[in-house]
Amino acid sequence: MTYFARKFGFFLATLWAVVTLNFLIPRLQPGDPAEIMVKRLAGKDAALDPAQVKAMRAMLGAPDGSLWNQYVSYLGELVHGNFGLSYTYYPYKVTDVIAQAFWWTVVLVVVTQVVSFVVGIVLGAYAAWRRNSRLDSIVTLGSTFLGTLQPFWIGLLLLYVFGYSLGWFPTSGGYEESTPGFNWPFIQEAVSHSFLPALALLIVTPIGWILGMRNTMIMNLGEDYIRLAKAKGLRDRDVALRYAARNALLPSVTGFALALGGVLGGAILVETVFDYPGLGRLMGEAVQNKDYPLLQTLMLLTTAGVLVANLAADLLYGVLDPRARRAQA
Amino acid sequence: MTLLDVRDLSVRYEPKASRPLDAVQEVSFGIGPGEFVGLIGESGSGKTTLGTALLRLLQRPGRISGGSITFDGTDITDLPEDDLRALRWRDISTVFQSSMNSLNPVVRVEGQFRDAIEQHSSLRGEAVTRRIRELFEMVIIDPKFMTAFPHELSGGMRQRVNLALALALEPKFILLDEPTTGLDVVVQHSILENVRRLQAEQGFAVLFISHDIGTVLDLSDRILVMYAGRIVEDQSAGALLREPLHPYTKGLLGSYGDPRQETVKITYVPGRPPDLSLPMVGCSFAARCPERIDLCLEQDPPLVPLQGGRAACHVAVLQREEGGAGPHGEPKRGFEGPQFVKTADESRSALTNDVVLSVEGVGKVFERRRGFTVTRTEAVSDVSFDLRRGEVTALVGQSGSGKSTLARMITGVESPTSGRIVFHGPDGDQQVSGFRGRALRDYRSDVQMVFQDPYSSINPAKRLGYVLSRPLANYQGLKGAALRERVMELLERVALTPADRFVNRYGYELSGGQRQRVIIAKALAVEPRIIVADEPISSLDVSIRAEVLELLNDLVKENDVGILYITHDLLSARMLSDEVIVLNNGRVVEQGPTLDVIRAPKDDYTRTLLDAIPNPF
Repeated sequence: MTYFARKFGFFLATLWAVVTLNFLIPRLQPGDPAEIMVKRLAGKDAALDPAQVKAMRAMLGAPDGSLWNQYVSYLGELVHGNFGLSYTYYPYKVTDVIAQAFWWTVVLVVVTQVVSFVVGIVLGAYAAWRRNSRLDSIVTLGSTFLGTLQPFWIGLLLLYVFGYSLGWFPTSGGYEESTPGFNWPFIQEAVSHSFLPALALLIVTPIGWILGMRNTMIMNLGEDYIRLAKAKGLRDRDVALRYAARNALLPSVTGFALALGGVLGGAILVETVFDYPGLGRLMGEAVQNKDYPLLQTLMLLTTAGVLVANLAADLLYGVLDPRARRAQA
Repeated sequence: MTLLDVRDLSVRYEPKASRPLDAVQEVSFGIGPGEFVGLIGESGSGKTTLGTALLRLLQRPGRISGGSITFDGTDITDLPEDDLRALRWRDISTVFQSSMNSLNPVVRVEGQFRDAIEQHSSLRGEAVTRRIRELFEMVIIDPKFMTAFPHELSGGMRQRVNLALALALEPKFILLDEPTTGLDVVVQHSILENVRRLQAEQGFAVLFISHDIGTVLDLSDRILVMYAGRIVEDQSAGALLREPLHPYTKGLLGSYGDPRQETVKITYVPGRPPDLSLPMVGCSFAARCPERIDLCLEQDPPLVPLQGGRAACHVAVLQREEGGAGPHGEPKRGFEGPQFVKTADESRSALTNDVVLSVEGVGKVFERRRGFTVTRTEAVSDVSFDLRRGEVTALVGQSGSGKSTLARMITGVESPTSGRIVFHGPDGDQQVSGFRGRALRDYRSDVQMVFQDPYSSINPAKRLGYVLSRPLANYQGLKGAALRERVMELLERVALTPADRFVNRYGYELSGGQRQRVIIAKALAVEPRIIVADEPISSLDVSIRAEVLELLNDLVKENDVGILYITHDLLSARMLSDEVIVLNNGRVVEQGPTLDVIRAPKDDYTRTLLDAIPNPF
């Protein structure tokens, strides 16, 4: 159990470090956000009006007091879930803006990641087990070819073919006329809008899993315990699953947990191509509009996501690989 | 009636990138029910390939290219996998060479017994558990380890578990492929004792593959000697020891000496086995054979019945036909090849040389901190000895006896927690643990290590010339022509001659013995005063061990270096060392001139070590 306790301890320490860095970095940057805002509104060459700057500060809730006091109040706001207001969607709260986009991305990316992982692992394991067979050649060569393509480029092709030429799917947005919520018309619309972005991701993401799984499994097939399992006269399926795939799965599981952590960053390019209302598109907007509160919160969310995923990967690894528990405990 | 009948079996490897190679060539032999047969040969002789073929586990690019294997009346040469499955483990089981990897690391030991048992028998649930417990007791392991994961067991225990696993379904035949290689002599001894006892009780037949003729002679009823893909001799163990027929067998036997003699002589087989992918005329052993006659170079000797056994040697056949009185003379028992001789007189004089390193009451305690608890482990305690110029001191002990910790302290990697190590160098007496920075760097060029595994201590991407030039450039600042000249000198020094043939080769192109020479040359490059050799021969074939021992011995005599020879094997300690220190649990249990210790051991532990040495004589 110490293994799991230690991993959790590390997680908390890292999370604190991330939160603190997220506080410090903007304060280390030169320039006053309020002045920048006023300049942007008034035009580049206009003289700064101190009154305007002051008003802007009041509006943004710019911090005062010592660095320590700021830090304490920052932590307090975090605990209360108060992340400030978005510049782009003023006067909406950052949390509301994010909450709207959150589920769009989570559903799209989580579903595609899970499907990709399962497809990738199964295909990779099968290709390795039947190495040099026709299926293996098709899978390996096909993956290598498709792996060089970018999902957003595939997205553009899909948009052109299925969106504009054939008109089978809508070309942008997340829904049309229905009311978001748990009702049939909305679900139908959401699914049809998500189909093309999901397909664009599904064509490329399994490839890493396929090749990774195939390589580790082929390496594992050379191990003595596989030879011994065959000598034991076990059925092929048992040797392939319980001995070969079970061991080859270990590195992929960690990779998968990390990939899920990246989900909160969204799929920026694909979401932008399909104008899909998720976190990725939001992040693109935040960067373009220098929307610091929004950007900062998205960053915090992304890093926290990666950290949680890391923790999950570590814990999972401890369960899957008994050696890890002792080596690090 | 034979249980396993192998006829004209050939195995061919057809790799895409290189020439095809016949690793096993027309091998025929039989094993009766309950018979214990040994199969010996050096690495690359095809013995493991033969074993894999018998188990029908060959993988591409290898395949059975001819002949037949009949097991218990069934021809299994081409039997489909589905039919074979019924035979596997229930009738034919195995223990592999590397015990470390033959258990699935993520499944508890119990599960790996259970799947085999449930696959082949009607036992289920609690009955299986009972059977596993019984098997554990058979190999003398506490059944509580059933629920352990493989990594939680020691090497010896893992191999016992593998043995228990092989016995799970009371098979008729077990293939043991180097089951104890890499384990401590004491552990090795007790496992083989266990095998012998179980075999006597249960009466399964065994094919025991090993490169160590000592253990094979100890255990087997009959012995097959394999060389270059063929069986060259087949005799009962007793007859083989009394009257070996093939010169290669004589060579293998010659690599054993009696450690209790005043003068120990061991021979070694010079050269390397032939490249099996090239066409060959005549006897495959001819190039290395001291008894060779012209016929050997022209005609391949067939394996023919001789003296109640079988042998593939023209000379042996001719000598027996002539009754020992003809032009080919009497049959010889020994191998008239190069020899390595160590006399007790040499040792006596070596022990009067100047002391180069003194170890004075040295101890080492490791502290491991976990939370608030500190575990203290005493790895070494109160060890004292002197290492002299031109002398070899052997540190002998099992794994965990503290010998490697001691070596690390002597090389300055660790500092002792008590006592001191004094180096009597050119700058007067200096304490090793006090070395920092430049002084430590200088000291490191005075003390060099030779490691156990010559296969992984040479950079595979670099030519030998480069490998040897690094220490010279680093420590002596040599460049250009001077550097090249010194590299050539080193290669000559370790008898890798002609040097210009070796300088542009890669480590992996050499044999194990040659590689170990390169490692030794590397250590010599900086002209050290002390060489710490950690098991330098234990991973080498017996037939070439003597070659490396001789090289080390010459170095000691000619260059006046002192060697600290670390080993678990008292026999090789006797061959090389003048003084021996026996370590057990970090303490010196016995210390003195090697011959005295071996002839009259005073401590029980030393006796255990001595008893564990396979002794065919």
